[in-house]
Amino acid sequence: MNIALDRSKLLRFQSLIALFLLCLGLSILSDKFLSVSNLWNVMRQVSVNICISTGMTLIVLTAGIDLSVGSVLALCGAIMAGLLKNGIELPDSNLYIGFTILGAILAGVITGSAMGAFSGWTITKFNVPPFVATLAMLTVARGLTMLWTQGFPISGLGDTFLYFGTGWLLGIPVPVWISAIIVAIAVFVTNKTRLGRYIYAIGGNESASRLSGIQVNKVKIIVYTIAGALAAVGGIMVTSRLDSAQPNAGISYELDSIAAVVIGGTSLSGGRGSILGTVQGAIIIGVLNNGLVLLNVSPFWQQVVKGLVILIAVIIDKSGSKNE
Amino acid sequence: MKKMVRYGVFLLIVAFLAYNSVYFKKLDEVKAGTASFNAAKYAKEFWAKKLTPSLSKSAETGQLLSLLRTDKDKAFKDHANALGIGNIKYFLIKGTGKVTDVEENQVLFRLESGAEKPEMRIATEYVFGNAVRDASGTIDINEFSNSMDFNNVSAEINEIIRENVIPPFKSKVKKGDVIEFTGAIELNQEHLKLDNIEIIPISLKIRDL
Repeated sequence: MNIALDRSKLLRFQSLIALFLLCLGLSILSDKFLSVSNLWNVMRQVSVNICISTGMTLIVLTAGIDLSVGSVLALCGAIMAGLLKNGIELPDSNLYIGFTILGAILAGVITGSAMGAFSGWTITKFNVPPFVATLAMLTVARGLTMLWTQGFPISGLGDTFLYFGTGWLLGIPVPVWISAIIVAIAVFVTNKTRLGRYIYAIGGNESASRLSGIQVNKVKIIVYTIAGALAAVGGIMVTSRLDSAQPNAGISYELDSIAAVVIGGTSLSGGRGSILGTVQGAIIIGVLNNGLVLLNVSPFWQQVVKGLVILIAVIIDKSGSKNE
Repeated sequence: MKKMVRYGVFLLIVAFLAYNSVYFKKLDEVKAGTASFNAAKYAKEFWAKKLTPSLSKSAETGQLLSLLRTDKDKAFKDHANALGIGNIKYFLIKGTGKVTDVEENQVLFRLESGAEKPEMRIATEYVFGNAVRDASGTIDINEFSNSMDFNNVSAEINEIIRENVIPPFKSKVKKGDVIEFTGAIELNQEHLKLDNIEIIPISLKIRDL
């Protein structure tokens, strides 16, 4: 009885324990790791992943997946930068429509939401597996990004816009504030609202949820829309930090995001997991990336190590599910 | 009634956001205010007003190579320039050398100044990259609205080298000549390789014997 209790406690705190051990190991191996500037740098980088992984967690909780977040992030960043920098020209009407920062950000977030809603709609309306629907969206969004940017970065977005990615507020980087607010809202939604309960219910047993009157399709579309919007927020941070919208931004971000979700203990089969677990997973991925760079590990080996960490996390998740 | 209030508030918020999101102007006025970027003109001005004056600060090649071997970090800190992050850094260098071979795409020479006399090469055919632009340390990327304009400046600088610097030199140079040069080189700080360095020339002179 006690052994079973201890084991379940251990599984509950597995990502925190892993994070602690990782930090301990890195602080021994590198004297730069525990410096304040490095830790803020890690948190600034991790903020983007936390943002998109929060959306990914909601999707994975419904037993879905979204492979398009990286491309949607790039598209939204490019649209924001393009509108902010160049506006829209209507030569026939001799009209120029300029966008303020607020306007550009809103346009990006609306684009992300629309892309997410479209993925959700195709998944629910045509019964397309989420993997396939979002894989298609990945390609569509990347192609649209290339079309919008013509393959060139859009840079020089102004100091005010840079504040979202590089600024500080009360001694804490602005991206950390943004991701903290998003996490707080997501924790509230998943734990205290009807939508949160529906998300867990759908992931736990979709048929039973449908029979009990939950509008499964509607909830799924909402969840994919939120994930798209959060990918757009990630796009704001990345574009702002680089002062440039890169057409190839966000490549493989979906993998880091899924890794954060899985490492954080959210079950890929849905119905089990938490936003805070994902935050821990994202920090583990960020710390791991940072540590491997500080230890001067070759980028090729970094990929191998990250892949193995994800694999181990999934194996632990599976063994945990079996025991339950 | 309650629904009406809700819709009303929603419409007010949308109107507020829309009002603060976009602004309208006449397209001719906007176009008149933004002249398109002329990379060739910029490159010519850069060459005359920024690059040429900065050549006096070029590192003496022999001394630089010695410093790179003894104190790499100091050499990079004192003499290198780079616009981005990464290990690739650029140096403006000057020196004299004796031509050991004239090939179709490059001129090989042995450095005469300094304690060391390594063989180096001057590119005389394939002049590409950002070495000259970035080595000068006088261009600020923030002056450019997009990276295409910024890269076009490099292309135009390389064109000046191909058209004005190389032809008078290449037509006369022969094995055994003593040459004076200034140029830009690219080195990798992490994986430093000091043999057979390629120089992108900025000025070349064959010394009269």
